[in-house]
Amino acid sequence: MAEEVKKPEEVKKPRKPLDPNSAKYKLGKIASDAFATAIEAKKEGRPVAWVSSNFPVEIPETLGLATAYPENQAAGIAARGAGERMCEVAEADGYSNDICAYARISLAYAKLKECPEQDVAMPDVLLCCNNICNCMIKWYENLSQELGIPMIMLDIPFNPDYEVSDAEVAYVSGQFWDAVHQLEDLFGLKWDDDKFEKVTGFSCRASRAWLEATAQAKYTPSPFNGFDLLNHMAVMVTARGKEEAGEAMETLLKEYKENHEKGESTFRVEEKHRIMFEGIACWPYLRATSRGLKDRGINMVTTIYADAFGFDYNSFEEMIKAYCSVPNAINLEKSRDKRVKLCKDNNVEGLLVHTNRSCKLWSGFMAEMSRQIGKECNIPVTSFDGDQADPRNFSEAQYDTRVQGLCEIMESNKEAKEA
Amino acid sequence: MVQDVLKKFHEAAVSPRAQMDKYMSEGKKVVLTAPVYTPEELIHSMGFVPMGAWGADIELNRSKEYFPAFLCSIVQSILELGINGAYKGASAIVIPSLCDTLKTLGENWKYAVDDIKFIPMTYPQNRKPAYGIAFTKAGYERVIRDLEALGGKYDPAALAESIKVYNAHNAVMRRVDEVLAGHPEITAAERSDIFRSAFFMTKEEHTALVEEFLDELAKTEASGEKLGIVVSGILTDAPQLNKIFDEFGMHIVADDVAAQSRQYRTDVPEGDDPLEALAVKFAEMDNCSVLYNVKKPRVQWIVDTAKARNAKGVVVVMTKFCDPEEFDYVMIKKACEKADLPLALVEVDRQMVHFEQVRTNLETFRDMLSM
Repeated sequence: MAEEVKKPEEVKKPRKPLDPNSAKYKLGKIASDAFATAIEAKKEGRPVAWVSSNFPVEIPETLGLATAYPENQAAGIAARGAGERMCEVAEADGYSNDICAYARISLAYAKLKECPEQDVAMPDVLLCCNNICNCMIKWYENLSQELGIPMIMLDIPFNPDYEVSDAEVAYVSGQFWDAVHQLEDLFGLKWDDDKFEKVTGFSCRASRAWLEATAQAKYTPSPFNGFDLLNHMAVMVTARGKEEAGEAMETLLKEYKENHEKGESTFRVEEKHRIMFEGIACWPYLRATSRGLKDRGINMVTTIYADAFGFDYNSFEEMIKAYCSVPNAINLEKSRDKRVKLCKDNNVEGLLVHTNRSCKLWSGFMAEMSRQIGKECNIPVTSFDGDQADPRNFSEAQYDTRVQGLCEIMESNKEAKEA
Repeated sequence: MVQDVLKKFHEAAVSPRAQMDKYMSEGKKVVLTAPVYTPEELIHSMGFVPMGAWGADIELNRSKEYFPAFLCSIVQSILELGINGAYKGASAIVIPSLCDTLKTLGENWKYAVDDIKFIPMTYPQNRKPAYGIAFTKAGYERVIRDLEALGGKYDPAALAESIKVYNAHNAVMRRVDEVLAGHPEITAAERSDIFRSAFFMTKEEHTALVEEFLDELAKTEASGEKLGIVVSGILTDAPQLNKIFDEFGMHIVADDVAAQSRQYRTDVPEGDDPLEALAVKFAEMDNCSVLYNVKKPRVQWIVDTAKARNAKGVVVVMTKFCDPEEFDYVMIKKACEKADLPLALVEVDRQMVHFEQVRTNLETFRDMLSM
């Protein structure tokens, strides 16, 4: 899942310099520095880890291990138009085109070791956590084999129950410390409790500000365009354990609050409708999917995908529970209730579901869950077929038709309400 | 007579509903067990008849209301059977979350099939350390609670007895796999029946039947010249697939199939606490696409087994949209190339009607192996 990148047009078009005190500048810098810092570390001979997006960042951050996030990289590559080219490299090696496109892009990168659309430092170790999907395990197993480097597996199973059990906390806690000790042994690193406390403080600070910023969509009109979140989320994925992330997120929150007070928004057209977007963004078609909404005055005000990277906790056990409760690790009822809350808190009028060819887990019970959300919130639900990174699995015409249909129902509902 | 026993396997293999009705008419309660692994020993010990639920070669209709098209057809067909009443009368279904699609099966089941209780089994992937074994045990304890709510009773002594029954069955299934490697006259279809029928019979009955088969087979002379192959995949019970193997003179000398030998490789060790021992069994299981192992020993296992059994080649039978297998395939392919072992890939699914592409691939492979 994860990642968030600059839109292709933002890379290509000359733009006026951003105010260095703005959230956009600060967040963009943190996101781009994340790649550069790991490349620099590699040059200096320091170990680099490739990390799955919902692995507890508290571990590499406390140990001072440089990190790169393959999901983040794959999203960047896809957004910049190289998804298909990289997928084809993996497919030529025998990887089925049914496999997650992030995995195909990442395995292709492991082979080529370069991609101008988004290079990363090559890893010395792999930190895998499957709380987003079991596909992650297979992907990292193969990376480990192909690159001949160790893999540390932190298994957080899908929880069929509503609450996290004591047994699961004990299991994941055991693995947490095992992972720490393995990394200490591999690279001669030393765990420092004081640093851990600082890192958790940074992570919670960033998470609180991020969650509060996204919650500003409670206002009508929303002080931001929901597509902004997809970009800013990069920082929550790659740098939430860093001090500067908290500061940047607090700036973002401040700006959103100011926008509301001034009656302004980064959604530059009249906000006629407010929807929740479900699923990972279609990175190769970010512009098309954004425009399809904006042209109709539809603001995507909320998505579980953004909140997925906010981890706020007050103890070690709560931290473990937070990692056990990320969106793809929880049962249908808990998943539904979280989304229903988002819909109600943010006055959502419709639900647009991305049936993502790359993500079997996310798409596998989405039909039933979205029916339940639609019923509970009394809102229309529409889905479209797409892919997070393989452009061959998306049809702009289908997307447009589906969004138009959703828009018409929302209009009709609004008219009925007003009448 | 060998053929008489084979007929019995076939009858059970093609009549799961009749088998289920038979057990229910005897007053027994049936618990369905979904792929890939479930604690059958435990279910058996609590007085239920575990019956494999690996779907069927059927058209999908109602399951499409729940699943997108790009999910594994085995799982989709299990839900279809649940919705259309094919499993009616079963007390529960135990579904492990060993792959992403199985996770979604359980969640959908709760709303799609209201008369058969969903019992989740959550296995750890870091299953070998003590904390992994403890977590497996906690998963079993949850299954126990759910089965108790259905009238089952947990008794460690009964579990110890069931473990003996299952270990004996494992042993006989390993033995039949080994013996069949020396009997080319037993067809792929017949071999498939022997394995498939195990899901629809009590293990006591199946063990007895396999032993009878082995006794009868021992009285005969092995015959026939065929091409020895190792088959790998999740499921290979499609009659048309086995017909093609037989038509092209392919003899399965070993399998790495989830619905076949992978079920029987590991026994429950002896121990004072049978539930703990059952958890240790899971810790010791390996060589499977849904069981994490960074070293991927399964890949070398296939190569080594093919050599040990003098196979001419390996056929990977890929269930469409099964990503654990699709990832492993690339490694299997590389290892076979390195070992100079010919490899063929054929794709199948539960809705496949036309097997022409499979036929063409296997015909070419047969020609290549015969050169």
